[in-house]
Amino acid sequence: MVTTLPKQTGNYDMKPKKFIVWLFVVSSTIMFGGWTSYYLVFSGSKGKGHGLVLPDVFIYSTLVLVASSICLFLASRAQRKSTALQKRYLGLTFILGIVFAYMQFSAWSQMSLGGAYFINNNAGISMIYVFTFFHCLHIIAGLCLIASAFFGAGKVTAERNAYRMEIASIFWHFIDILWIYLYVFLLLNR
Amino acid sequence: MSTIAIHDTHHDHHDHGHHKETFLTKYIFSQDHKMIAKQFLITGIIMAVIAMGLSILFRIQLAWPDKSFPFLETFLGKWAEGGRIKPDFYLALVTIHGTIMVFFVLTAGLSGTFSNLLIPLQVGARDMASPFLNMLSYWFFFMACVIMMGSFFVQTGPASAGWTVYPPLSALPKAVTGSGFGMTLWLISMVLFVASSLMGGINYVSTILNMRTKGMDLWKMPLPIWAFFLTAILGILSFPVLVAGVVLLVFDRSFGTSFYLSDIVFGTQILPNEGGSPILWQHLFWFLGHPEVYIVIMPALGISSEVISVNARKPIFGYHAMVYSLIGITVLSFIVWGHHMFVTGMNPLLGGVFMITTLIIAVPSAVKTFNYLATLWRGNIRFTPAMLFAIGLVSFFISGGLTGIFLGNASLDINLHDTYFVVAHFHLVMGSAAIFGMLAGVYHWYPKMFGRMMNAKLGYLHFWLTFISAYLVFFPLHFLGLDGVPRRYYVFTEFEFMRKWLTVNTFVTWAAILGALAQVAFLWNFFYSIFKGKRAPQNPWEANTLEWTTPVEHLHGNWPGEIPTVYRWPYDYSKPGHDEDFIPQTIPFSQTMSSNLPHDFEGNEEAERIQREWDAQNPPAEQRTPQH
Ligand code: HEM
Ligand SMILES: [Cu+2]
Repeated sequence: MVTTLPKQTGNYDMKPKKFIVWLFVVSSTIMFGGWTSYYLVFSGSKGKGHGLVLPDVFIYSTLVLVASSICLFLASRAQRKSTALQKRYLGLTFILGIVFAYMQFSAWSQMSLGGAYFINNNAGISMIYVFTFFHCLHIIAGLCLIASAFFGAGKVTAERNAYRMEIASIFWHFIDILWIYLYVFLLLNR
Repeated sequence: MSTIAIHDTHHDHHDHGHHKETFLTKYIFSQDHKMIAKQFLITGIIMAVIAMGLSILFRIQLAWPDKSFPFLETFLGKWAEGGRIKPDFYLALVTIHGTIMVFFVLTAGLSGTFSNLLIPLQVGARDMASPFLNMLSYWFFFMACVIMMGSFFVQTGPASAGWTVYPPLSALPKAVTGSGFGMTLWLISMVLFVASSLMGGINYVSTILNMRTKGMDLWKMPLPIWAFFLTAILGILSFPVLVAGVVLLVFDRSFGTSFYLSDIVFGTQILPNEGGSPILWQHLFWFLGHPEVYIVIMPALGISSEVISVNARKPIFGYHAMVYSLIGITVLSFIVWGHHMFVTGMNPLLGGVFMITTLIIAVPSAVKTFNYLATLWRGNIRFTPAMLFAIGLVSFFISGGLTGIFLGNASLDINLHDTYFVVAHFHLVMGSAAIFGMLAGVYHWYPKMFGRMMNAKLGYLHFWLTFISAYLVFFPLHFLGLDGVPRRYYVFTEFEFMRKWLTVNTFVTWAAILGALAQVAFLWNFFYSIFKGKRAPQNPWEANTLEWTTPVEHLHGNWPGEIPTVYRWPYDYSKPGHDEDFIPQTIPFSQTMSSNLPHDFEGNEEAERIQREWDAQNPPAEQRTPQH
């Protein structure tokens, strides 16, 4: 008899799911958009922003995050050629991600030592903590995606592997750009 | 995009949906969109009944502020000591009533039910883009409901700062009892709710954009799908802002930051918080809050378009205009939020801008209204219960929309803001219109959901009682508002100028009780028919859309064979020259030569040529066309 099968294999499943990640990126951007607009209106009405010289760690952490993005890009490129290479780059991305998170926390401690606490009568300063904290939550989620790509590499089908790599890439590059946006935003709106 | 046709001997498609289903995977942790839709609907109905009960409680207080009702004390204990509802609890009732109705019933209950049910069925997909996320969406919603209801079992009672939870009232746990733990639960519940809405909305958008069946281009989608699509986009773009605002509120409440707080004197104590501004909460809240009201009404409008067209046996009037006005509403609704804040000391120039954008949004709303009326005009109307509710929606949308234009004028709103006029406005346009749209959907798609029919007589009873009592309840409130009676006041006897409205309040309360009793007819009909209703035929309303091509018995994957291909738009009703008064979307034009029109072919010259040849051979004999 003639029957039909829904095309369960391959990208039939993948395309809509990848789109879901993009939509998540959009809504997450909007959440940060909400905070940055709070900040703009707040600093606009007060005539001042956070008024801090941001800790230097942020410069280094930004570099680390960019480096991790590059590693992830290399991992994507390597996936066709060599699983070992792909895994090596993925591992590097993961480690750099953790280093980044650690550096963000050390920036917090520097700020607190300098008297710029989270609980502050200048909501602009509290906002720096909010930005970094929620950005770090994204980092944790991104690390999970990278881990899933890492452990999947070589075990799952090439198609699934590519899919996981793509999901991880979309998300990780997004949080990279997001951080750069937040950092520049904070630099510009003292 | 397509499906693969293969000669298959060993792999029968039927095991596609029938692999070891347990009670748990079928009814509880189901990933099937049809089951999830039913879960949303039934949870939504339960929440609606609860919220309605709350409203009856505070209506009793409003009608008889000085009377004691011992049964209240029996039910509510210390919150109604001596049989009278306490002020704190009154505020909690109003708050939770609003929250449940707006978010849990008219957002999750409405979108959750019908987007889940109809998107895959009407665009021709086997399920959602991510069934797993879809299941999570329901369970987050369920948890949000449980936590919100849990706040009734907290010593200090539920949140009581109104459904908009303005700080500083909501930001200071000691301000009123309701700002204590109840408020914390409210915030937790809302975060879960937003997560649920986002997971749902993201799924809907992805499914609509990526998983339509062959031939289903965007301009062949039924209007409910357009409405769900744009609603989901609104949600994705606005709910995250609410999360942003809620997070800051949580920090203010529980950690001592000053995002919304400044210069607060508490009794004799001066609070240390400085520099924040409660107005900023209002901006963040209403940036979501206004799109939210359209998140509520747009699915109802989409559902009504479908129901009205099917039951008027006419194509929907101005299909493209309907879509463009939905798009217009979607875009405009992001730039009008300031109309909720005219009296916050806003710069008059800014107020003027918000006023203009607000009045412009009335244009697409009016376009839709006229299109409904034009569709009904000289239709061959079948007054099914669903049709009545859809017409009811149009009625409420008009009467509530008109008062929106009053409120949109900043100079009028200065007088009307925070009075019962606003309450009347949004209960007609949202409370009544959106609920009627939802009920229209329930009556219309019940056969698709449960495979049985609801009882039409009970449906008529339900409609007329609800329709009449809704007007009796909400119309008089306009006059209270025009007289300056503020909303959310607890006893009318305390204020000289409000006393004369007590008799009206009593009347309104009786009308509300009538309306509540009318819902018994619905509840009985709904739950009885699940088990004992008449079995539904496959296409009970003789409709064109794809969902009626699926078998009555649900199966995972929706269609037993290949997903049908779509050839035409969904509104070919009473097409001249065709022998039936409906042509389903799956019928190709080659089978309807006698009724095809030149523009049906969208410029396909080959098809036009074939049609011309056919027309030449079959001259349109006068006697063949029944119409004049
Ligand atoms: C013709 C289009 C509409 C216009 C011009 C309009 C205008 C307004 C204005 C100016 C207010 C603020 C009143 C005040 O607080 O002083 C308001 C409140 C409100 N409107 Fe509308 N509206 C329209 C349609 C709708 C629709 C379709 C819905 C819902 C489905 C809706 C729901 C609400 C709600 C819930 C509130 C009150 C919120 C609160 O303060 O609790 N409106 N409307
Ligand atoms: Cu509004």
